[in-house]
This record gives sequence, C-alpha cells and structure tokens, in this order.
Amino acid sequence: MDLTRREMIKMSAAGFAAAALNISLPTTSAANEEIVVDKWIKGTCRFCGTGCGIYAGVRNGQLAGIRGNPQAVTNFGFLCVKGFKGYISMYHPDRLKFPMMRGADDKFHKVSWDDALNKVANKFKELQEKFGKDSVAFYGSGQCMTEESYTFNKLWKGGFRSNMVEGNPRLCMASAVGGYITTFGTDEPAGSYADIEKARTIFIVGSNMAECHPILFRRVARHKLQNPDNVNIMVCEPRLTPTARIADVWLPADPGTDLAVFHCMARELIKNNWTDAWYINNLCRFSTGAQDVDFKAYVDFLEQFTPEAVEKITRCPAGNIKEAARLFGSHGPSMSLWTMGLNQRTRGVWANNLIHNLHLISGNICKEGADSFSITGQPNACGGVRETGSLCQLLPGTRSVTDAAARADVEKSWKLPPGTIDPKPGFHTMEMFAKLGAENDQTKPLKAMLTSTTNPAQSLPNAPKYFKGMKEGFLVVLDIFPTRTTQLADVILPAAFIYEKGGVYGCSERRSQLTQKCVDPPGEAKSDVWIAAQIAKRMGMERLIPWNGDDPQIAYQMAWDDYRECVKLTEHSLYGMTYDRLKQLEAGLQWPCPDEKSPGTARRYVRGYDPIMNMPEIVKVPSSALIYFYGDKKHEGKANVLLRPYKGAEEPPDKDYPFFLTTGRVIEQWHTGTMTMRVAEIARSKPNAYLEIHPSDAKEYGIKEGDMVKIASRRGFNILPARVVKNSLPGILFVPWFDQEWDRMINRVTIDAFDEGSKQPEFKICAVKIEKLGEPKDVSDMYIISDPNAPFPEKV
Amino acid sequence: MIITGSAIMVRSGTDKSVERKLEAFPQVTFHGKSNSGTDLIVNFECGDQEELESLCRTIRDSIPEIVDIGHIYVNFEDEIEKIKGGLS
Ligand code: SF4
Repeated sequence: MDLTRREMIKMSAAGFAAAALNISLPTTSAANEEIVVDKWIKGTCRFCGTGCGIYAGVRNGQLAGIRGNPQAVTNFGFLCVKGFKGYISMYHPDRLKFPMMRGADDKFHKVSWDDALNKVANKFKELQEKFGKDSVAFYGSGQCMTEESYTFNKLWKGGFRSNMVEGNPRLCMASAVGGYITTFGTDEPAGSYADIEKARTIFIVGSNMAECHPILFRRVARHKLQNPDNVNIMVCEPRLTPTARIADVWLPADPGTDLAVFHCMARELIKNNWTDAWYINNLCRFSTGAQDVDFKAYVDFLEQFTPEAVEKITRCPAGNIKEAARLFGSHGPSMSLWTMGLNQRTRGVWANNLIHNLHLISGNICKEGADSFSITGQPNACGGVRETGSLCQLLPGTRSVTDAAARADVEKSWKLPPGTIDPKPGFHTMEMFAKLGAENDQTKPLKAMLTSTTNPAQSLPNAPKYFKGMKEGFLVVLDIFPTRTTQLADVILPAAFIYEKGGVYGCSERRSQLTQKCVDPPGEAKSDVWIAAQIAKRMGMERLIPWNGDDPQIAYQMAWDDYRECVKLTEHSLYGMTYDRLKQLEAGLQWPCPDEKSPGTARRYVRGYDPIMNMPEIVKVPSSALIYFYGDKKHEGKANVLLRPYKGAEEPPDKDYPFFLTTGRVIEQWHTGTMTMRVAEIARSKPNAYLEIHPSDAKEYGIKEGDMVKIASRRGFNILPARVVKNSLPGILFVPWFDQEWDRMINRVTIDAFDEGSKQPEFKICAVKIEKLGEPKDVSDMYIISDPNAPFPEKV
Repeated sequence: MIITGSAIMVRSGTDKSVERKLEAFPQVTFHGKSNSGTDLIVNFECGDQEELESLCRTIRDSIPEIVDIGHIYVNFEDEIEKIKGGLS
C-alpha cells in the first residue's frame, strides 16, 4: 500500500467514524472514498442476532473492507471483531467450490451440478415413493437468508406435503418461542433495542452479552456509564462473565435453579407492593397452564419461594435477590434481556414464562424502556426460521400447522388445493436425528436429510449418538467449508456466502434488513435458493417454486414477494417491506409492517404504535383498549402469568459426576468455528477450547493452569487444558463449544435431554467428573477440517 | 496492515488530557472530537487484529479517563490477498 493510498484510507476511516457520531471533521473532507473502494454496498453482519448494519467495500471485484453503518439503529456504526473480520473467511482456500458425491470408494469426487442435483432429486423421489412423503427431511439454519428458509419450507410443506422441516434455531431459540406463545399467544418481543437507552434497570439473564452480542452490550454499558447513578444492571448467571462484571447486582445461581430466583423476585414484588394493579387487573390472567386461577392463588403459590429458601436451592444470596426485586419493581422502567442460558434447558419455556411474569405484574412491558426481550443467537433465527415457520409445527407467520384456518390461508396463497398441507407436525430436531437411518433399518422412518448452513455433527448435544443415522441415511449438505457434517455426507453442495448472493435477515428486534449481492461466489458455488429451486424443478414442482433463474437478485426478490404475500394478513405481516423500501432504508423495517406506507412497529400491542391494533381483518381489538395482547387465544387481550412449579436440571451433579458443566461462546469465535477459525487473528487469539475451573476445585484435584484434564459425562469425554479462574462458582465448569478437534468437541459430553414444550435441549447443564491427565501441553493447533475426504475420527 | 476509523469515549472534561496522552502512541492519529469533548475520532494502524486489540488494551489501561474504544471502520484489503494465498 503506497503512502498516498494509506493516507486516503486513514482520512476516509476517520471520516466514517466521525459521521457515525455526527462529528464534522475538516481534515477528512479531502479524502476521496472512491479511492478506497470502488463501491460500498449496504448489508448486515451475519455473526450474531444483533443485526448490525454494515457497508461492504468492494474493490476490483472482491471485498476490501467492512464498515459499520452509522444510520443503522441497531449498531449506530459500531461493529465487533467478528463483524469486521469474520467475512474474510470467505476468501479462505478451503472454500467448497464444486459439487461432490461420495463414490464407491467412500471418497468424495467432483461432479457437475446436473449430476449432483439429479442424484439428490431422484433419490428423494425414490425414497418418498418407497417410504412415504415424510421420509425426507430438511434441516436448516438461523444463518440461512429468509428467502432460503421460506423456499425450502414451501417446497417441503407445500410440495412434498411433509412437515419434516426443522432448523438449528430449535437448539437455541425454541424455548423463547414457547415462552412468548404460552404467555402472550404469539412469538417475539413487544419492544425494541431502543428500550435499552430508556430503561433504568436492565436485567440480563443467562446471557454473556459482552462476548456473544458485543454491540448490544456496548449499548447497555454506555447507557450505564453515561448514567452511573441512575441506571442499574443486574445479571443472573452462574459465571462472573465479562457481562456480570459491570453488574450492580449479581445473582449467581447454580445452573438450572433460577426458576426459584424468578419466583422469589415475584414474591418480593408483591410483598413490597412494587406491582402495577392496573396491569394485574386488566392485562394479566393467572394460570397453572392447565387451569385459570386468581391472583390470590398466585400469591399463595409464591409463598414457598422465600429468599432464604431460595438461597438454599440456588446458592444465590437472599440479599441479592431482594435487592434485584427492589430495583426491578421500584426503579423502572425495567428491561430484561436473555439468551441461551435461559433457553437451552429442560425447563426453558418455564424460565421464559417466569421472566414475563415479572414484567407483567410490575407493569414493565409495552412502555418505553420496559420490555421482556429475548435476544437471538443467530442472525436470522427470528426472521428466517421463526417468522417463515420453518420448524416442524409451524407455517409462515409463525402460525401452527395444526390450525385449520392457517393451513387454508397458506394453501390459498401457495395456490394449492385445500387439504394439501399436513395438519400433523413433523419430527422436532432431536427426534429427526434420532429417527434418521439406513433404508434397511425399519426403526428409522427418516431415510434422507438435506442440511443447509449448519453443522449438526458438531453442534447437536450428545452428538455421537446421532453420527450413525447421519452416516447411514442419505445426507445432502449445503455449506461453504468442509465440516464434521460434510464428513458424514453423501452429497456436498457448495454454497454462496451472504455477500455473494444477498437476501434478507431479520434480527432479534423484529427488524428485517436487506443485504445486496456484493461479489461473485468462488468456483461453482451457488446460492441456496438456486439449489432449492433446481431440486424443486427436477421433482416436478417448478410451478410452486418458479424462482429458479441464475440471477440470485431476481430469484431472492421473487421468493421474498411470495413470502410477503403469504403472511400479508397475519399479526406478523411484513407486506409493506418491499425490496425497494429495504434497499432505500438505511435501517430496514420492523414488523408488523402491513402496507407500504407503514414505518414499521417499534412497540407491539400498544395503540398508536402497532398498526395491527386497528386491523380487524387480522385481529379484533376493542376500540377502548390502549394495550391489548391480541395473540390471546381467549380473545380477552390478556397475557398469562404462569404458576410454573420449580424444577431443576435434568442431570444435576451427584457423587459419581460431581460437577456442573456449562457451555457457551467466546467473543472471537462463532458457533462451530468453521468460519472464524479460518481467520488467522481470531484463530490465534482463541486457538483451542479449554476447561474453566475454580481455583478451589483445581486445588482439590491437583490441577494447575494449563494441565491436561479429562472431563467426562455419562455419555462421553473431552481432553482439555485447564484454565484456573475465579469466573465461576466452585463446582461449575465451563467449556466453549467452537472447537472442531475431536478431543475438544464438547458436544460429545453434553446431554440431549430436552424441554417437553419447546423440544430444545439442555446444552447448558449436565453432570461431569474430571481427572488430571498430565502436565501442560501445547494444543493451540487452531484445528480445522480442510479436506472433505479427511476421515471421520470415530468408526461410525 | 490494518487501519481503523475509531471513536474513543472519554469522561467529560478529560478530552485535552487524553489527547496529550495519546501522543505517546505513534499508532494513533487524532482527527477531532465531538462538541461535548466526550468522543475523540482517531485512526489506529496495526500489523494485525491481535496487535490492534493489545494496543487498545494498553491504551485503556494507561489512560483511565477512557470509558470505551469502538471501531467503526477497519480496512483489511492487504489481508484478503494473504488469506487467498493460504498465508493465514
Ligand atoms: S455484534 Fe453481532 S451483528 Fe454486530 S458486528 Fe458483532 S457479530 Fe456482527
């Protein structure tokens, strides 16, 4: 880089930063943006559910830089390390560049697209004829674009008449969906990120935002720093994470015990009169789930959860719980934010319900700064999977397949004969993988699966249990890199990265944003929509999925328009979000957005904000109602305050397995590390997984920093270097889950028990034992699977 | 080589002293600040991301008036060539 260019870049870079903060800098006005890149294209980051707006700089046909979009109201121009660096992985030489099929020698061989697609379509047809329409499954991802999930969902539910459609959001968000639906009757939060800056108390639960959603955390931290005496942060989380470090009140409850903490907080709210009588009388219905009860029954139910009793169950100090309740109830508006720590549990739905309870009885919802807000982990778990209904029990608009009216509406929109869509839900994720297997295995009704943009062989809990099914079933994998899952596949289809195709992502705050195509994909890689449409065409369903042309921008827009039409008359309507509007608007739009004049909706259920309140063709809301939970199945506009009994983890520690194991992310790495581990600096800064252990436990087991430790559950083991840290309570171990290396793949250890309601597994909690194996060893190998033909490490 | 466009958030009234202290870091170029003086606009120039992170840590540790450092733009064009060549 010569000096002139370097100086130009410096001035441009400073100019962008200044613009983001509305600062005018005379020194940068000389910088010529055109010199830095040929063009800037608006889009979103794909590395978490925050939905940060970016501009991608293209120079000589390739991406040369990413900058935050200062007008994006999600991030105001700021990005984290993954946002800046993650995209670089798309240029890694390991990219899958052509279709491959496994040959008789059990090795992958390069084939043409025609051969690969014909093989997939013919095999799917053959299996469906032989074993029925439900013998072939789709398993997608919260990282697929909305148009992609919608297309696959339509092909399966409308074309194959099969609800065997799932996606990895089942593993991260399903309990949040279950929580919203059982409490409010409909999915997703009422408020927006903008409530963060209006809240006076922020309750962060089961979320290490500082590492997993750094830009949202930045908003929280800045709000606190600018108002140190007036804003309180409370964190309920067993580890003293970087998030918990800024807390005014830390609630360190043992994993899986926080239901008792939330009930105790509710009890304190009521005992101290920190409740809102109007909300209780007008917006709350008290219910056990099976039957409605009155407020007194709720009060009586809570009586068992005294602070002292709860401290015994949870190890969380009684005084901290009381203080948390005081701040929540008397120092509002209060906003709760949570992620996987609440969801990835066998009582995930209940935990979500109990957070909603706190907001409802204290009147901390549907007001500025007050909301019960689930943050999603993946960039498009909300927009792509929840909203398009790409789960086994759902239809577009997050409607249920068991709802006859919803089925009829979708059939009409898809121009299908009445009765086409099967009313019976398909298999949820864990059932799907448990029932996938060989054609000659009569115990396995699923014979084939197509996965997109996900790596279940590494990301499923208790993963080894499911390897055999993946290996013996007919497995088609769409991805951009070789992974543990491609190692088990029959066909690998090389996919395009977000900036090589474009499309819409919908983030945690119901906001849809369009990314436009920036550059061409490498080799013969293709967009998911093209792949889905080509399979549909070869299976005689071209009329159902007509967007099968080569130009992704046209195909994706056609899919989007079809989707908009399909959900037009639903509470989740985004009919007003045309591609043209999404191209023009810097920050996208939040649904409900029922027509092209709608500015979107920052606050649902509130008259004057939410257009659905005035749309009797969708829901009937009494004209006198100012706040009305129109998802209420009883049409009373109320939300359910649920009396969920206390229940702890599925597998608490015992004498044989005396430790809690909890797992999670780190700031640098994303999910199974397939992309981020290919960015050199990221890989170097977190080159391997490790075991975090409290000094007192380490001492008892004679473990020193760096020692190699075997961690074992009833299902499997890992061998990891120890990090002796005071982050956790004694008795709680932590391992991040990004590492692909066999000995450090922590999902060989985790438990696959799941929530009965949401079917979401309890990744966050299982019982383990440990054993020191030896002295420190350098395992910073930054392991990645580079060769699709690299053998799978275990005989399957 | 990576170049950033970044904002350093400082405690109210400390901008001048932070500007002076930043002069000790040759990798930092100061461009200007907000009217309130709480946001300073700078470039960081570093060999790679690790160096950038460690520089930010050092600056934060040695200038306690700093509340936060955030990056709005990072140019990586040199690195794409490296990664394509399998040099990463
Ligand atoms: S916070 Fe999330 S969306 Fe924003 S830049 Fe970081 S990874 Fe991307």
